[in-house]
Amino acid sequence: MQAPQDSKTRQMPSGKRDTRRHTPKANMSGLYQRAIREAFLKLDPRTTVKNPVMFIVWVGTIVTALVTIDPNLFGTVQADPGQQRILNGLITLILFFTLVFANFAEAVAEGRGKAQADSLRSTRSEAIARKLLPDGTIQEISSTELRRGDQVKVIAGDMIPADGEVIKGVASVDESAITGESAPVLKQPGTDIASSVTGGTRILSDELILNITSDPGQGFIDRMIALVEGAERSKTPNEIALTVLLTVLTQVFLIVVATVSPLANYVQAPTTIAILISLLVALIPTTIGGLLSAIGIAGMDRVAQFNVIATSGRAVEACGDINTLVLDKTGTITLGNRLAAEFIAVNGHSVEQVAQVALDASIFDETPEGKSIVQLAEQEHQAKTTFDSAQAEGVEFSARTRMSGTNLPDGKEARKGAVDAVKGFVRSRGGTIPDQLDAAYEKVSRLGGTPLAVCQDNDIYGVIYLKDVVKPGLRERFDQLRRMGVKTIMLTGDNRITASVIAQEAGVDDFIAEATPEDKIDVIRKEQSEGKLVAMTGDGTNDAPALAQANVGVAMNSGTQAAKEAANMVDLDSDPTKLIDLVTIGKQLLITRGALTTFSIANDIAKYFAIIPTIFAAAGIGSLNIMGLKSPQSAIISALIYNALIIPALIPLALKGVQFRPLTADQLLRRNIFIYGVGGVIAPFIAIKIIDILIPLA
Amino acid sequence: MKRNAFQRQNILPFASTTMLETAADILERWRQQKFPLYLFLGLCFNLVLAPAVFAATGGDLSKVQAYWLAGLALVTVALSIYLFFVMFVPEKF
Repeated sequence: MQAPQDSKTRQMPSGKRDTRRHTPKANMSGLYQRAIREAFLKLDPRTTVKNPVMFIVWVGTIVTALVTIDPNLFGTVQADPGQQRILNGLITLILFFTLVFANFAEAVAEGRGKAQADSLRSTRSEAIARKLLPDGTIQEISSTELRRGDQVKVIAGDMIPADGEVIKGVASVDESAITGESAPVLKQPGTDIASSVTGGTRILSDELILNITSDPGQGFIDRMIALVEGAERSKTPNEIALTVLLTVLTQVFLIVVATVSPLANYVQAPTTIAILISLLVALIPTTIGGLLSAIGIAGMDRVAQFNVIATSGRAVEACGDINTLVLDKTGTITLGNRLAAEFIAVNGHSVEQVAQVALDASIFDETPEGKSIVQLAEQEHQAKTTFDSAQAEGVEFSARTRMSGTNLPDGKEARKGAVDAVKGFVRSRGGTIPDQLDAAYEKVSRLGGTPLAVCQDNDIYGVIYLKDVVKPGLRERFDQLRRMGVKTIMLTGDNRITASVIAQEAGVDDFIAEATPEDKIDVIRKEQSEGKLVAMTGDGTNDAPALAQANVGVAMNSGTQAAKEAANMVDLDSDPTKLIDLVTIGKQLLITRGALTTFSIANDIAKYFAIIPTIFAAAGIGSLNIMGLKSPQSAIISALIYNALIIPALIPLALKGVQFRPLTADQLLRRNIFIYGVGGVIAPFIAIKIIDILIPLA
Repeated sequence: MKRNAFQRQNILPFASTTMLETAADILERWRQQKFPLYLFLGLCFNLVLAPAVFAATGGDLSKVQAYWLAGLALVTVALSIYLFFVMFVPEKF
């Protein structure tokens, strides 16, 4: 939660979010050529063994290759050895391509991340840093020699050599290399948001003295590269659970197929090893086994395309399971800059007097709110500064005092701030609180505005009405979230009446008024104690504990280093509303994985009906060949070709994700069972029959 | 590289140091590579298993076929153990 004076440096990226992207653009040319090469390199058994389903296919391919060389290797085959060799060779070839297609899906997904990492790496070129030595002299060294705690000077045109905090100077910095936003950002010391700079960005004007906060290779861009490249990718809990399920299915089918041979001999329908391996590969869930890692990598990639860097796939996945969103009011629900709209006089003072004291109290206030008060007082009420500002002292806003103001040269104290805080200030100076103050406070609050009381010493002059505007379209998005079962909680430092008006207007489910930064972590803990997963955004150092506590903590790139390190996602555009999009992406990832698993398992029914009746026709179950497939050989080859081709056919869906619809969990389940369950049963029946007709096997 | 016992005690003074180092290096790598060891043990076990398969099939198979079939059975069992391992320690995969 930031003090209001910081908000002026927060710049929202321009243009529609969908149209924005990383700059420099990731180079995707040659992606598929590289992926094809990678697909073959991934055939290394040390890589394949990481995927249990595909490893079974790998071993199966080796065994069928052996029986292609010698069809009688494991026992004398009754059929013509030449024909048997051709059939075994075809089976080997199809199994080999099943492996290659599965590897290709993963390689394409990884290739996208690598291309993004390469584009980021291009921004991390080595720069010359001007290191400030203890005696005040400057030594020019390579940026790779800088260490945490070093002080460097950067001037207009320089590339910032490493991540750091501004300790002196004011300058505009071009952060487009990491945010894609072309508008420069003002950097200055002492403020939570604007004092943090990132290595690889460029200073456009003036000069800054920086304190380096990261060692070489540990900077923000270095960590981003490692993440998008997938170097630190570990399996998410859902992926682990699904891997166990797929392994159990594979184990069951392995045992079933291994024990089929004696039964087949008993019913006078002996089978060959190649046919048994084909049956095994057709029955195990190769479709989802081949696409599982690609779906996870693509989820990370989709988040990165939204200009958000996730520290792990676990964080992206957790977005899909979020039950509660904790959102700041200012900047997230309302348009960050509140503007003074009206002065309301109390205690027998005139509006002009209120304007004059408000002007005195705001003369050192550099926030948009403070500037708008000065502008309203000067332009609408002809107020003028009546003292020498060099002789006066500004009193900054703090979360503790919740007011700011000016100590005037004649010893008077002009203050403006939260009504309760100003009441306390006036009482401490021996003043009394007029009844009209509460009426004015309520009037402003009921309009959804923020009331700021204005006083001088022990005399309350009136109330400033700060107008707050709810961002357009938020109500619809909160409605969508509600339909998905996600609860939204708004946190604001405003009073209860203002908070309730804004909450109603925006359509949030709950709100917490007069919240302190500590309240944020309390809300998260309370929700988590009820078994809910919580997401929040933050940018200040005081947000860091809450960001670490939340299941999904999204830090703004404009925020402090502490916030970025505590969070598990960093939004490069520093747009707090993006949290809502992240929930959508997380849900899309989970839905895609669920849909393709359903499809893969549903496919088994058709493959079962294709292979079993034809190879056991001699046992009297030939009537179950409802597809009317030509022969056992044709049935096996058709089922295996379908099994192999369905993997590349589903790569676009795995990478793009199933289209997200804001439905309840029950509605989504019904919809997915209908499309991917029923579809997964019907589609292979049709496809296998078509392949059977097309292939020239008798 | 650490000097091995042969080198330290100078048991083979006639062998050149390079040869000893190469042998020690191979030994070192052999210890690190578990797969060849398991493969070797599997093949040895198959020598015991293959006659049992040959006897069970009642002469339908040749000795070579029995050896290969026993090997396939061993591979199937190994795969099953591997799948159980994945089920119980999935985070390693």
